[in-house]
Amino acid sequence: MADLAVKGRSRQKAAPSPWKQKKRKPSKPGSGVASLNGKWAYVFIAPFIAMFLIFGLFPVVFSTQLAFYKYDPLSLEQTWSWVGLDNFKDILADETFWISLGNTFEIWALSTFPQMIMAIGFAAILRSRFLRGKTFWRTILLVPNITSVIAVAIIFGQLFGRDFGMINTAIGFFGLEHIDFIENSFASHVAVATMITWRWVGYNSLIFLASMLAIPDELYESASLDGAGAWKQFTNVTLPGLKNTITFVLIVGTIGGLQVYAEPLTLAGDNGGGSSHQLSTLTMYLYNESFINARYGYGATIGILITIIVLIISLINFVVTRRVASEDK
Amino acid sequence: MSKNKFTRSLAGVAMIATVGAGLLVAAPAKATAPAVTLSIWTFGDVIEPALLRAYKVIHPEVTIALKKADLDPSMTNLTTSCSAYVQSHRIGNPPDIAAVEVSYSGYWRAYPQCFTDMRTLSTSSANANAHDLVASSSNIAEGLSANDIKNNYLAWRWAQGTGYNDSVIGIPTDVGGLEVAYRTDLFKKAGLPTDRAKVSALWPTWDKFIEVGKKYMTKVSKADKKKGVGFIDNVGTIYAASMNQGTYKYYENNGTDAGKLVYKVQGMAPVYDPKTKAQKIDPKTKKPMFKKGWVLNPNILKAWDRTIAADNAGIGTRIGQYTSDWNVGMTKGTFATILAPAWMMDYIKGQAPTTKGKWNIASLPGGGGNQGGTQLTIPKWSAHTQEAWDFINWYLAPQQQLTVFKTYGLFPSTKSIYNDPSLTGFKDPFFSNAPVGSIYLTGIQKLKPIFEGKLQRAIDQAIGAGLGRVSAKKQKSLQSQIQVMIDLDKATK
Repeated sequence: MADLAVKGRSRQKAAPSPWKQKKRKPSKPGSGVASLNGKWAYVFIAPFIAMFLIFGLFPVVFSTQLAFYKYDPLSLEQTWSWVGLDNFKDILADETFWISLGNTFEIWALSTFPQMIMAIGFAAILRSRFLRGKTFWRTILLVPNITSVIAVAIIFGQLFGRDFGMINTAIGFFGLEHIDFIENSFASHVAVATMITWRWVGYNSLIFLASMLAIPDELYESASLDGAGAWKQFTNVTLPGLKNTITFVLIVGTIGGLQVYAEPLTLAGDNGGGSSHQLSTLTMYLYNESFINARYGYGATIGILITIIVLIISLINFVVTRRVASEDK
Repeated sequence: MSKNKFTRSLAGVAMIATVGAGLLVAAPAKATAPAVTLSIWTFGDVIEPALLRAYKVIHPEVTIALKKADLDPSMTNLTTSCSAYVQSHRIGNPPDIAAVEVSYSGYWRAYPQCFTDMRTLSTSSANANAHDLVASSSNIAEGLSANDIKNNYLAWRWAQGTGYNDSVIGIPTDVGGLEVAYRTDLFKKAGLPTDRAKVSALWPTWDKFIEVGKKYMTKVSKADKKKGVGFIDNVGTIYAASMNQGTYKYYENNGTDAGKLVYKVQGMAPVYDPKTKAQKIDPKTKKPMFKKGWVLNPNILKAWDRTIAADNAGIGTRIGQYTSDWNVGMTKGTFATILAPAWMMDYIKGQAPTTKGKWNIASLPGGGGNQGGTQLTIPKWSAHTQEAWDFINWYLAPQQQLTVFKTYGLFPSTKSIYNDPSLTGFKDPFFSNAPVGSIYLTGIQKLKPIFEGKLQRAIDQAIGAGLGRVSAKKQKSLQSQIQVMIDLDKATK
């Protein structure tokens, strides 16, 4: 992404717009804006750099330091006490950490894969020649994405209520036992995954749609000449054409999936994530240890471990993406 | 040039006009005090709007800005604010008054550097004539420190706002108290007495309370049981109620800042079999096996066993309090009883207005009870300490607490008005004209002060989760207790 931006900028420099050329007066050496280019650049990027230093770099350095200490910001005498690698040792032996890690990945898997299938399905429907009011349907699909996460979580929390929730009422109508969507570990993950899917499926189907529209019509025409039906066309023309987009959606979904916070928090109702931490995710556990239990060092250590996990996943993504790209050539 | 001159002269005219206007306004303003904005960090309904309106009449120059959050986040905010002050004396946008809930009072006691010692403060003449301006309000004398008003308040509530070196960091707002709110219509249907004296006589102890619950459940139809109908809303509340009836919880007062942790004690611990997830049985004697080891303290175990017994009896609905299910259940009559602090009466009225007259209040099994309660503190980095102290003295004075009680049902922490006929005789039509004043008063006076330790909130939550695991049949009681001890060791490390 960064590479692209730089390339774009340099291209602009090489070929300034005709409008600019017309207006610009021939500048004398040593005067005017042109000669100050170098210095002005710093001024223009200063706000970003300042923001980055304060909100980006400083927290990273600070929390790395925290991970090796027991930190009590309210104390007058003993604010920092060195504990070495104790925090890391404790976490690796901490059952709750592993539970949270497992929950995070389970919710990720439950939300990403069904969502992707649905999104491709929606995109195929939206692309269909027979669909009327395309813009309307496309807009409708994006509405869940612009609603607030908390509002979504509260509404779904009511849908999933154990005794009076709509879903359980429906289940009870068929004479089946009510499902406890908060206490039951798997059911609670399904509930959270449903919220995430509902919010993101429209967004992803628009991305798939864009990518589908880029597949040349000739491919479909020649496929139908070869006698391929609608399903054959879909599997042999559409899906291969979506390969890059699927990788992209997967990567974005993974990054989002590791940060799931508001949905499980609102459903569980507390930062611990329920009685056996069945709804606790990595970010929830980080917040709970840092700010509810005031164990800042421990929380920072969780943060570092999350970073390591993200790095590993990014590495896997990188390898996979490269393979996909090289296959295309 | 001419344009420049014109602009400058225009600016001059404007300046004169502004200064003139300023003088005109300033002249009459001299008589009143300068405008002050008091920033109060609070949660729930600690600060009631009706009283704020009255205070605005007495002090038009004081603007009260409430910053509300949920209970736990409000404490996180205060921690952040205080650490900024302690670490680097940054002031930022400080609270002038911060509400601290009782479960956190032990935590803050360990950090007296965050609060103004109220013994060093002295009221100004600001509220000396408050009664003239608002008839229902009382006057506050000049020159009062925390020591001077101490005797107005209930001793055990006052103690919850004191630090180690006897410093006073918070003044108590209301007292929760705890009694049983029950539905007379549902009791009648189940063949139970509906009169509050007879109902109270049904359950002198928790065991008897569970018995009554079982009896109630036998009258509940199968279809209703399937819908989740129960006797009490949530058996988990029995745990907290039972704990507060003891003399200690998780800490012992040993004169240190944090107190001594006593959640576990050496005793005869049951031997746990990881396979059957229950207590091991000695193959020879056929008796449950024990060995020396750590067990949860007897108070916790007592409350734990009561809660589990109630859960096993199937008398609870397992609906979480303050959830949407709870609010619906309250109206629908899904449960017949709630363990209700005084402040919950207002909540019931708000959430289930159609149940008016169907409720009544009986006394809590096992003696007096309490749940919740808040202190108003003045953070050390407050910019308006004097105004904050004047406000607290007025707001928490006996007369004002009486007004809050009558309007919102919060029970006063000021014992000096406990003989007031308007309190003892107060009846609430929503609760079948129960004399709520005298009912809660009786329960409150039975309580003894309990030492609130630093991590009480976290410990409560870990035990609550443990009870939840047993209730959801995820773990056996014993297995869950062992995990609670592991969790507590970690949390208190």
